[in-house]
Amino acid sequence: MKFSTVVIFIAMSTIAGTTVQAQSKDEAKYRKESEAMRKQVWAWEKPQFNVREIPAQYSNASKVVLAHHTELTADSKSKFQFYVITFGVKKEQTLTEVVREMVKLNDKNAVTEYSELSFTQFQKRSGFYAVDKTTAYVGVRIIKPNGTIKEINADDIILTKDGSNEKQAKVAIPDLQPGDIMDYFIATEQQMTNDLSSKSYQVLLFDDAPILSLSFHGQLGKKYAIDYRSYNGAPELQVGKNDDRDIIIDVEKNNLPPFETSLWVTPGRQLPFIRMNISLGYRGPGRKFFNSKKPGEINKLTSSEEALDDKTSSLNNIYYANYWMKAARVQFNDIESDAKKLSKQQDIKFKELSDDEKAAQLFYTFRYTKLLNFDIDNIAKKIDIGSYKFNNMGINFYCILKAADVESNITMSGTRDWIDLNEAMDASDISTVTNLAGSGKFLHLSNVYDIPFTIPSNLEGITETQNLSFTNKATSAHNDLSTGPKMPISTSDKNAHLENLKISLTADKGALAVKRSTTMKGYYKYDKQKDLLLYEDYLESERKIFHEEKTLLEDLEDGKKSRKYVDEVKSAFAEARKKQVDAFTSEAKDNFEQEVTNMKDCKTDKLGVRHTDPDFVYSSSFTLGGMVKKAGNNIIVEIGKIQGQPLVVQPEHRKRDLDIHMPFARSIEYQVELAIPDGYSVEGVSALNKKVDNETGYFSAEATATDKLVTITIKKHYLHIYEPVKNWDKLMQFMDAANDWVNTKLLFKKK
Amino acid sequence: MRKFVLFAIPMLAALYSMAQESADIDRNVVISKSKKTFEFVKGDKDHPVQVKEESDRIFTCNNYRTDISVVEFYSDIETIDDLDIYVNDSKKHGIVPKYEYYNSDGIFYSDAHVCYFQLPLLKKGSTSEVRFKKTTLDPNYFTNIYFMDAQEIDEQEIQVIVPSWMQVEIKEFNFGSYNIKKNISKDGDETTYTYTMSHLPAMRNEHSAPGPTFYIPHILVMSKSAQPKDEKYDYFKTVKEQYDWYRKLVLQVNVDAAFIKEKTEEIVKGSSSDEEKVKKVFQWVQDNVRYIAFENGIAGFRPEKPQEVIRKKYGDCKGMANLLTEMLRSINLDARRCWIGTNHIAYDYSTPSLAVDNHMICAWMNKGKPVYLDATEKYIGFGEIAERIQGRQTLMENGNGYLLEKVPVNSYAQNASTETRRFSIENNSMKGHVTQVWKGENKVWLLSALNDIKQDKQENALKQFLAEKKLNYEISNLKVTNLSNYNADLQVEYDVLWKDVVTAFDKELYLDADNRRNLENYNIDTAKRKQAYRFPFKNDLLFETEILLPAGKVVNSLPEKLAIQQPGYSFLASYSQQGNKIIYKNEIILKQTEISPSGFSQWNKDIEQLNNFYNQQIVLKQQN
Repeated sequence: MKFSTVVIFIAMSTIAGTTVQAQSKDEAKYRKESEAMRKQVWAWEKPQFNVREIPAQYSNASKVVLAHHTELTADSKSKFQFYVITFGVKKEQTLTEVVREMVKLNDKNAVTEYSELSFTQFQKRSGFYAVDKTTAYVGVRIIKPNGTIKEINADDIILTKDGSNEKQAKVAIPDLQPGDIMDYFIATEQQMTNDLSSKSYQVLLFDDAPILSLSFHGQLGKKYAIDYRSYNGAPELQVGKNDDRDIIIDVEKNNLPPFETSLWVTPGRQLPFIRMNISLGYRGPGRKFFNSKKPGEINKLTSSEEALDDKTSSLNNIYYANYWMKAARVQFNDIESDAKKLSKQQDIKFKELSDDEKAAQLFYTFRYTKLLNFDIDNIAKKIDIGSYKFNNMGINFYCILKAADVESNITMSGTRDWIDLNEAMDASDISTVTNLAGSGKFLHLSNVYDIPFTIPSNLEGITETQNLSFTNKATSAHNDLSTGPKMPISTSDKNAHLENLKISLTADKGALAVKRSTTMKGYYKYDKQKDLLLYEDYLESERKIFHEEKTLLEDLEDGKKSRKYVDEVKSAFAEARKKQVDAFTSEAKDNFEQEVTNMKDCKTDKLGVRHTDPDFVYSSSFTLGGMVKKAGNNIIVEIGKIQGQPLVVQPEHRKRDLDIHMPFARSIEYQVELAIPDGYSVEGVSALNKKVDNETGYFSAEATATDKLVTITIKKHYLHIYEPVKNWDKLMQFMDAANDWVNTKLLFKKK
Repeated sequence: MRKFVLFAIPMLAALYSMAQESADIDRNVVISKSKKTFEFVKGDKDHPVQVKEESDRIFTCNNYRTDISVVEFYSDIETIDDLDIYVNDSKKHGIVPKYEYYNSDGIFYSDAHVCYFQLPLLKKGSTSEVRFKKTTLDPNYFTNIYFMDAQEIDEQEIQVIVPSWMQVEIKEFNFGSYNIKKNISKDGDETTYTYTMSHLPAMRNEHSAPGPTFYIPHILVMSKSAQPKDEKYDYFKTVKEQYDWYRKLVLQVNVDAAFIKEKTEEIVKGSSSDEEKVKKVFQWVQDNVRYIAFENGIAGFRPEKPQEVIRKKYGDCKGMANLLTEMLRSINLDARRCWIGTNHIAYDYSTPSLAVDNHMICAWMNKGKPVYLDATEKYIGFGEIAERIQGRQTLMENGNGYLLEKVPVNSYAQNASTETRRFSIENNSMKGHVTQVWKGENKVWLLSALNDIKQDKQENALKQFLAEKKLNYEISNLKVTNLSNYNADLQVEYDVLWKDVVTAFDKELYLDADNRRNLENYNIDTAKRKQAYRFPFKNDLLFETEILLPAGKVVNSLPEKLAIQQPGYSFLASYSQQGNKIIYKNEIILKQTEISPSGFSQWNKDIEQLNNFYNQQIVLKQQN
């Protein structure tokens, strides 16, 4: 269970790094404790750590994990008494994890990977999602091919941070060579905090190296409680209690073949793993409110009821603090007032708008007044506003709409790139968008370019959802839950990259002069808007739509205080505009994968930030190199290269066992008009025609010519967001066709 | 100073990364005034002579409010004593500098630390000021003072105050057109060297550029001797003192001679000649000792014990050079430790200083002639020399004396890469056999890349590399020779079916024989680039293709030949017909590694000609 303390406005996401820290009063003590820990772990009586041979089928593998075992212990009478590492903290609140792995290193790549280890690298082996301050110990020993075992001397471990209460360390592994077996462990101790939250823990049953034995043993004292769940065919946890009423957890799996992260794989839906939520049971006052477990409680989760409860109560808390409380509600009332004011400026009668229209107007008002609003003290951040991600907007829009009397729900669901709602274990597994009660349309915003009535691509096609709304009671907000809508799936034409290219030979007939107009639709838009669209242009476009009388700069010049910094704003905007040309050049280079020079006429023609005008259109003209070849008196145009290098499925990925999860259905189309130079005729036009079409998608190229012009239409459509693995060959058929077409050429023959 | 070339002056490199950002924002923030004073002072018993540094930089916002990163490095020997930050003349700004271990790529552990913080500039025209006080505890470690910073500098004064009890020599580098004025004044017992300058550009971070000592204006301060009280302290008065200091450190290393001898004899067992023995020992160290650098304190200068390097199977350049020397000496071969500054450094031993060198290698004296062995070059062959040490002066051990030798300069031929193809045309494909051979540093590059790949993925990766990731270049029967014998050339042979490379228009066939297109589009952006461009090594790329004409076809036209001969490079490419074969030959030679800014224009013209050559096709027609 987690409590969210979310600031709903301007919740810009940040990625917080976690580091593992070793704590001890002094280095000598720390080293002594490490020594004691090492003795304990090396003394484990586990036969899988006696294996030295690898099966013949893995003889050429870079590395083979012979054994991987995790021991998770808390407040139990386990034989693993980690007495050395409890620093004045209640033992029952201490959770100790030892991960030991024995890996055969067969080549230089594997030796390099394991030769310099820091605690952070060790920590990658841990099952905890996130760690708080942690005490960590490591042990490493090398087993040579002749069977001799050499343990790393504790003195070889270097402390890179040697604070009195915080230590970080790393170790260079001596005498490590291909053919050696490295047997190492990391022991970490975490404190269960007192806020009754649970620790998320996972056991992954896949790796990029073969694993001969993978096991997990947990022994948690009787005050603990555990929820668990297996995913994607992972074996069931064996959970029980021993005579001391400790919770005993085991899972074991042998002979796991290597999994190689591959194209279009979603681990959350396709690869086996087990998740656990570990908490200290609590039976005191407010137990229900905190949704805490009873001590000793063991739950094999088969539904997402608890995760939903956590999510709804977390949203309820936000709602209560930010909307139910009248003082806080002002922020939402302000948005409605602003929307009315801006509507008036636009000669729109807000009151007479339909709910959908009101929702859109509120959306745009929020975006304009809270995200795009100019702030001189954060000018760099504002200019870069396109790079920021926003979250928690489901509840935000719900409150905005409610304040304006537009009925809506918060739709909760899983995501396509993780798990479904009915598999959720945790509130963080659940995603939210706002759903208009009348039309069923959605509102969501994860970046400043998002428009109303769309959903994030990772919610497309989700069928299992729950709708949440709140009813205000005298002392609290009541949750109303109901079955939610099915999420729509966009078609390939909705997520489109369309190129309109008017091409002629340059004067020296050595390159192509290109006039380009590009249209990006749907999920294809964001990256290009982020790179090419200027904050100044975006803001001025919105100001115009809202019928603001003046431009931002005029507004600033009129203000007594702001007048002083107008020059600064002009300078900052001018610099951003200067960089835009570089951005256009770099985007064109990436797109065509050829030399791009003489970039000019760069423009963002349509910004694609309004649902009434949703496409992002930009244009430019430039010289494109690398596609024109002289052949005697004639000229070859390697027209196939106009699409850059389409995605190639390399030989090692052509055999596939996993279904195909793509980001979204999509299309790429080129409309090319190639001028035939005076004094030349064209040959090879009919050979450009090609079509490969099947149920997964298609590639087609159609070409026609007049005396003056060759017209070519190229289309590649991936029709579905998902394909079963049986369709892999079909998918590759049209992808290969697009690749083959790269080699097509046209001849301009001298008359 | 640190001891491995790739990571020399890491701290300055870190400043570059910020410099890039600053340079891009076009004088938005400049250092309007900078004053730095370095004064030799009397110290304590442990550090009798110290250097106190006081720096005061005023940053001015020219265009719009922002913040910048300020970074200052320190170590065991160079401490930060005080830091004052002013934002708009106020100390109330809430900035809390962070002091952390500095994690430098390539150095596993060192004593380098970094102090850093974000410095706000509140509005256009406002200033922020940073004052540091630092102490260098040993004059030997006080070497160069760079005059540039991450931001442009409007006005700067740098003072070095030398009391009469301290003997120093100061040498100026790269003052060139910067209009730096020098004044030497005497006030009582003190001599003050004052350098004043204005309008210094910001440092720029440009890839493939020479090291900073080649172009940043700076002074090298060489401490000679001091007598702060009664006792006299000698520093590097001449290169002899520097050698003595290095040698003293080396002699402090405890060597388990019996163990080293036993191990070496085991390695060279069965070898008849000295050269064979040296080859075996050299490759054993290359194969078995991983490069891991420890640069903390004196460990930056004193090699690890050779028996420890063998035990740990890792070491840095000093550890490897020392191990090689001890191993070869244990079997009665004449081996010498050599200190050397790589081509990253502009100095030689005519200016004795710890800033002169950054690397250590071993030399085997073969009948009095040195054969240089650098085991940090993991895949280089015996007798081959890496570009970074070619032509460099080396301080070679010679008992109590020393030798100043010059590492030979090898020709581009050392690194030749040749590709030979025999193709025939079948419909719209070419098929045939290819042989590729890599020598010298081309071989080193490819072997390093291959060994970074998991062994079960190596063949696929190599095929993709050879096919340039193109599916229409189908490789079969791939054979690799000398993957682990670095003393021989690396060779691959394979069959190829190159699909869709021939295009038929009417009765004519059009084809492109070259998919390598070496140096295509390798032009230099003269609008942006200011520093010289350096290739990693001299090169000789030879590409030859023989195409058998199909029955009934004759040559209609062949591309014009290309012949560019410049002092530093040549591009020679031609097509010719010999009987029923077309012979394509393309040889690109880089005789020198560096293209100076004054040569950029010519280079770009030549690259354009090369591009034009590549953009021509062979045309075949029906035989009459």
